[in-house]
Amino acid sequence: MLPLSLLNAAQNKPMLVELKNGETFNGHLVNCDNFMNITLREVYQTNAEGDRFWQLKECYIRGSTIKYLRVPEPLLDAVKDEQTRAREAGRSARGAHVSGGRGGRGAPARGRGGPRGAPMRGGRGRGRGM
Amino acid sequence: MDSLIPFTTSGSLVDCVDRKMLVVLRDGRKLQGVLRSYDQFANLVLEDTVERIYHQDVFAELHRGLFLIRGENVVLLGEIDLDQEDEVPLRQVEWAALEPYHKQEVNDKKYREEAKAQILFERRGFCKEGGEGDGY
Repeated sequence: MLPLSLLNAAQNKPMLVELKNGETFNGHLVNCDNFMNITLREVYQTNAEGDRFWQLKECYIRGSTIKYLRVPEPLLDAVKDEQTRAREAGRSARGAHVSGGRGGRGAPARGRGGPRGAPMRGGRGRGRGM
Repeated sequence: MDSLIPFTTSGSLVDCVDRKMLVVLRDGRKLQGVLRSYDQFANLVLEDTVERIYHQDVFAELHRGLFLIRGENVVLLGEIDLDQEDEVPLRQVEWAALEPYHKQEVNDKKYREEAKAQILFERRGFCKEGGEGDGY
């Protein structure tokens, strides 16, 4: 789970963004990209001293100006679960494919190894069988 | 194993994942949390993060939750020795009690740095810092 995929997964979730200059933005994440550029909606902006506030309908923040983002803690668990589920699904799909193909591939391999007279083990590519 | 991984951010931080880490930011903030993830820019994901402030031999901390820190702003990332962290001769106090002292300290330091930079600029021909740098 890379930091930026966590950010991607945080769409529509509330978050706090602090810029390098100390200003903070509280809002819901609308969208983000791989540069960490983000758009927020229903935003409360606070100046660096924390004594002035602005309310914005929507705002865009350039990724390079960000110091950090604070996201809801349950998000990490949610993303982890999601990933495990995706991995499980991928594995079972791939597993079916491999076990189906194996019987067919095994037989010709033996034939190819024969004419050269080489030991059979040498004829097989490393790791191919898996 | 170690020697096979080149010295890069991604190479040297693998061992730190799922460990309790101390992160110092460029603005001087000190965060402690469990490192859950990072990337080639040293962007960090810190879980169960607490922010700590120190003054003389006391400290205070505040729970801040889940952080995604942009790598650029990281000064230092260090592992916390769980066996030794309780042995540190510091006393914990309430955040509200310590915060004013800490703020004062930060302001004093800022003032000193500005005065120093001004003198270096006027008398020694150094350039002024902060054209781009930390401002944005």
